[in-house]
Amino acid sequence: MLAIFVLLAAAPDFVKDVRPILSDRCFACHGPDDNRRMANVRLDTKEGIAQALAKIEPRVAHDKKALRMPPPGSPELTPAQIATLKNWIASGGEWRSHWSFDPPQRAVPPNVPGATPIDKFIRARLDREKLVPAPRADRATLLRRASLDLTGLPPTPAELSAYLADSSPRAYEKAIDRLLASPHYGERMALHWLDLARYADTHGYHIDSHRDMWAWRDWVIGAFNKNLPYDKFTVWQLAGDLLPNPTPEQILATGFNRNHMINYEGGAIPEEYLVEYVVDRVEATSNVWMGLTMGCARCHDHKYDPIRQRDFYRFFAFFNTVREKGLDGQKGNAEPLLRLPEPAQKARLDAVATRIAELEDWQDRANIPALQRDWEAQAKFPAAPESSPEGKLAASIRVKIGARLDTVPTTIFEEPVRVWIDGGEAIGRNRRGSYLYVARDGRVERTRKQFVTGEWMNVAVSGGALYIDGERAETQPISGVVIPAVHTRGSREDPRQFARSLTLDEIRVLARHEPARLALAVPESKRSKDQRQTLFEYFSAHAGPESVRQVHAELAALYREREDLLYEIPSAMVMGEMAIPRETKILARGDYRNGTEAVSAQTPGFLPPLPKDAPPNRLGLAQWLVSREHPLTARVAVNRFWHMLFGTGLVKTVEDFGSQGEVPVHPELLDWLAVEFMESGWDVKRIVKLMAMSDAYQRSSKATPALVERDPDNRLLVRGPRFRLPAEFVRDNALAAAGLLNAKIGGPSVAPYQPSGVWEDIAYGDTFSAQRYQQDHGDKLYRRSMYTFWKRTAPPPGLATFDAPDREKCIARRALTNTPLQALVLLNDPTYVEAARVLAANAMATPDPLQAMYRRTLARNPTPRESQLLRAQFVKQLSVYRNWKAGADELLSVGEAPVPAKIDRAALAAWTTVASTILNLDETVTKQ
Amino acid sequence: MNLTRRNFLGMVALQSLGSAATHFAPKAKRVIFLHQSGGPAQQDLFDWKPDLVKHRGIDLPASVRMGQRITGMTSGQSTLPVAPTIFKFAQHGRSGAWVSELLPHTAKIVDDITIVKSVHTDAINHDPAITFIQTGSQQPGRPSFGSWVSYGLGSENANLPAFVVLVSQSSGLNIDQPLFSRLWSSGFLPSNYQGIKFRSAGDPVLYLSDAPGIDRETRRRMLDNLGALNKAQADEFHDPEIETRIAQYEMAYRMQTSVPELMDLSKETDETFAMYGPDVRKPGTYASHCLLARRLVERGVRFVQLYKRGWDQHNNLPRDLRLQCEAVDQPSAALVTDLKRRGLLDDTLVVWGGEFGRTVYCQGRLTESDYGRDHHPRNFAMWFAGGGVKRGTTIGETDDFSYNIAADPIHVHDIQATLLHCLGVDHKRLTYKFQGRDFRLTDVHGEVVKKMLA
Repeated sequence: MLAIFVLLAAAPDFVKDVRPILSDRCFACHGPDDNRRMANVRLDTKEGIAQALAKIEPRVAHDKKALRMPPPGSPELTPAQIATLKNWIASGGEWRSHWSFDPPQRAVPPNVPGATPIDKFIRARLDREKLVPAPRADRATLLRRASLDLTGLPPTPAELSAYLADSSPRAYEKAIDRLLASPHYGERMALHWLDLARYADTHGYHIDSHRDMWAWRDWVIGAFNKNLPYDKFTVWQLAGDLLPNPTPEQILATGFNRNHMINYEGGAIPEEYLVEYVVDRVEATSNVWMGLTMGCARCHDHKYDPIRQRDFYRFFAFFNTVREKGLDGQKGNAEPLLRLPEPAQKARLDAVATRIAELEDWQDRANIPALQRDWEAQAKFPAAPESSPEGKLAASIRVKIGARLDTVPTTIFEEPVRVWIDGGEAIGRNRRGSYLYVARDGRVERTRKQFVTGEWMNVAVSGGALYIDGERAETQPISGVVIPAVHTRGSREDPRQFARSLTLDEIRVLARHEPARLALAVPESKRSKDQRQTLFEYFSAHAGPESVRQVHAELAALYREREDLLYEIPSAMVMGEMAIPRETKILARGDYRNGTEAVSAQTPGFLPPLPKDAPPNRLGLAQWLVSREHPLTARVAVNRFWHMLFGTGLVKTVEDFGSQGEVPVHPELLDWLAVEFMESGWDVKRIVKLMAMSDAYQRSSKATPALVERDPDNRLLVRGPRFRLPAEFVRDNALAAAGLLNAKIGGPSVAPYQPSGVWEDIAYGDTFSAQRYQQDHGDKLYRRSMYTFWKRTAPPPGLATFDAPDREKCIARRALTNTPLQALVLLNDPTYVEAARVLAANAMATPDPLQAMYRRTLARNPTPRESQLLRAQFVKQLSVYRNWKAGADELLSVGEAPVPAKIDRAALAAWTTVASTILNLDETVTKQ
Repeated sequence: MNLTRRNFLGMVALQSLGSAATHFAPKAKRVIFLHQSGGPAQQDLFDWKPDLVKHRGIDLPASVRMGQRITGMTSGQSTLPVAPTIFKFAQHGRSGAWVSELLPHTAKIVDDITIVKSVHTDAINHDPAITFIQTGSQQPGRPSFGSWVSYGLGSENANLPAFVVLVSQSSGLNIDQPLFSRLWSSGFLPSNYQGIKFRSAGDPVLYLSDAPGIDRETRRRMLDNLGALNKAQADEFHDPEIETRIAQYEMAYRMQTSVPELMDLSKETDETFAMYGPDVRKPGTYASHCLLARRLVERGVRFVQLYKRGWDQHNNLPRDLRLQCEAVDQPSAALVTDLKRRGLLDDTLVVWGGEFGRTVYCQGRLTESDYGRDHHPRNFAMWFAGGGVKRGTTIGETDDFSYNIAADPIHVHDIQATLLHCLGVDHKRLTYKFQGRDFRLTDVHGEVVKKMLA
């Protein structure tokens, strides 16, 4: 790519032409790494080059291969590269610092035609290249492009009609304003941020069970929608907890640096992972805000950029202060946490806590142990019914089933009737409550309510009825449940069988009195903690004075309420400082075992110093990043927005603004945008709108073979952008076109269709959450794809196939592949088959189904040729399905969305094949 | 070089190697990697230490441990009692290799393989160790071995993925260690180089089958129209991506035939089935995957990655190791023999081994018939067969406790360098630029192990 520009340059430009060669081919041995520098020659500094200049040409152009640089074994310089170096040396060997490390200056836009300053910069370049910009795209194409870029969704038919009907000169700008004001704009912007933030719903390492970071994800969406200025957006995420009197929102924002993977593999060494977490924060933070690859300096000085190993650990020290454990996360979120109650929840939680404290205080003063001892000395219990080991008419047992998610049903009784307890309900949560099931004559009944698991309970059956803790448990018939295989787990005590039916009173004796009687029978010194608790509970509930019993009853209800509240109240992992931070040492070769010299938090020396009044912690670091003097933050941010809209950044390597990154194609434009962004108060919507309003963005993306040859990647911006949609929008677009999309924003992640085995093949048994996939139903199947539950070790296959990253690490730029597996997804994944069916059904309710499908999917009408081909397909398929009713029925059975009752099923099947063809078009999965 | 946009699944590769297929003449053209997930116990299988009986139950001498770290699962034990193997060993073949009674079929192929007893790794827990042997880095983010190979060498069969993954579950009663898709992920390489996991139930390749109610004629009709409409679009926009997409749909259509043909075992003889053992007819078993691996490489698939879960015997080792070996021994040996008789072993590399070994000291209670072993990264055993490696050799020595390497230490990066070498690839020159740096499978390490080469 660079070649175009090199050939056009008269004398080589150091920044654009020379430095990239030196960096890529020479710096590894003659660059910033003090420990590996060969022959004491240094080519990354002004002084180094001044000293070495005379030696460069003889060595790179040496006749003898053995003496030629780069040395044998490394790839050789091309003749063009050697020529560039020769010309540069001949012209005096000018040196300039790396472009992105100097602060951006606002350039004056060139005095050429152009609708916006952006266009003037681009036009000046096109004029130099003697290229003529492409005309404006047609209006419908443009509306679809902007809608997909700014909201990730296609325009609705109504939006399209309204736009086409608006002939005012400001119609396009109004459309852009409408899109920027849409709540889906925040989702679109957040999606990219989630890649950068390595957001996921599981911990990533080893067992990879669930976490709950969706509240943080929702904060990001909201921040973009509210247009929180990028400087605040930055400070809150990096250090919201360190602001004076931080709001919950500011603390929640710091979840950014808790999104990294967390480990609790048995036997792993905590110190090792504490280091990995902090390394991840350094890598993500430096990459997201500065486009620097600081991670390269973990083990040794950076080979290309002036980042020493010491700089790495000084940066590391900013993040090595979190109140966290090396191994954590077994039960979901790892400390530090932010609980996020609604105001009413908060008020109730406080009230419950106050009342609990009062009552516990009363208990402490009530001299209960002495009263209990007196009772124990002469305790009497009602007689239990006589059991008989072979009895088959009634049974009783005490069980405690683990509270963790377990989708394998646990058998409680096999006789006299089969009773079992099911697994949890949601894939992302630890189990809270479970239903019990009873099988009678092959039919299954289920309890009306769920029972809390993780606590001891008595289960009894007699006369065909089910009793829990001495109360009749109501059941109702349920269809579609198969009697599972026998599988027992959890703790079990005191199983008894009876040769006759039991009365309710007898069952209550078993449930309430017998556990205490058995515990009391154990000598006091040998009682387990459970047994002591059983006795205390029994005394307080049944045997003590009335006041004790009353307080106990109230407390039991309050404990239960508190537990319910805490379970309901979501949390997120956030940053939180230790009272005494860990000491940070330079780690030789990056190994946690090899700590050497202690260092304190500091920013790299080649960048401006921390502002004078900034504290030497994360807050100071964040303020430093968004200071006007910082050369990287604004450039990296505006380049990323450009990348979103234009498909390629002004610096293509959006993740690398260092020496090895691409030199910008339009450096003055990048700097102009960066300064504009800062001076506008870091106004994201404003800068995005500026880009969307440029002529360059609005150009037609049609090319000619000659133009593709000349500028295959459209770096000069002669034409408009044309790129395949990101994975999530490929699916969202199909759901939206079909009319299936559930536009709800935020909330816990959901589990849409997924083939069996994707998780289970690699999962760790049943003990932990997120090991068995439990698909959701109803409108959760049609949420936007960014809400799909993201399991890092087994990402959703339909999205991963379209290059969605696994979210293990910060990713600034996705790959964009084009594979046969993508074809299989779009053709055969039930998601898309169902979308085609519903698109067809909705279209059949209009006078012209084909036109309706085109407008909903592509925001345009079909061409005559398209109509002819697809109508012929419909006619042919109609005759196929008229003669193959079963085939039509099978096709219409894909997906859970209902089929309209009074519809011509053969016609619907035939239109479904047409809709599927449309959903598979290159144009459908492309913004153009 | 715009690598990410213009390629597709294994068809166009060699970006790093230019137009020449390899750096030098390859001995092997493809790899079958039989990864034994969890870490098989080397001292119960290949690394026999007869004298250890004398140390039975005695604490591992400090002079042997030398302060090396041990995992959090045994670091709290008051003693680290030596647990000698309870299994019998004998010498086999002309090469006289020592093999445990648990592996009678492997014992019959020792003259076709190189056993290495002195492999060592950097990691001490499953996640980092398996990530290390599969990607060259303990931490996530790097491309897997198979991705590097498919990126470097491409595929010989356009109608099948270049890199296929097969997972079989534990045969022991202990819970399996989890696996992670990152082990076959393409990391920072474009995602068309990632491994495609074949499933044992349902479609072998996700979404391979046409939707119910779509017969082949209907599908063909849809694809014809789709192709015509996409072609019209290409003529208008001249975006090469559109032509690529048209080709991808045709390749997908061909895969819908080539994968079922691959999975159809009806033409395999009873004698072949018998070789692989009784499990071979059950989909998803290790035995069925070994047979499938042969069928895959026969069809030009470049890299077949098997995982056999269930080698993590912290307790009940004798019971579970026996069960694992019963499931793995015969099919592994059959695969080598089957490749050999078909003339495929000469240019197919077969690799067998786990992510680390197991400790000589007992985890939990040591009894006459029972013991457990913790993770041991300092030495473990692997074996190699076929394309370019020696046949009938044992390499490497360990100390009397199978705790430290006594001769020929071979690091995981050395194994990776050596396997690439057999494929005709210089591990230092198979690189991909990411975040400004040329990355390799072997990071900045790795030496080709000449002793292993034929």
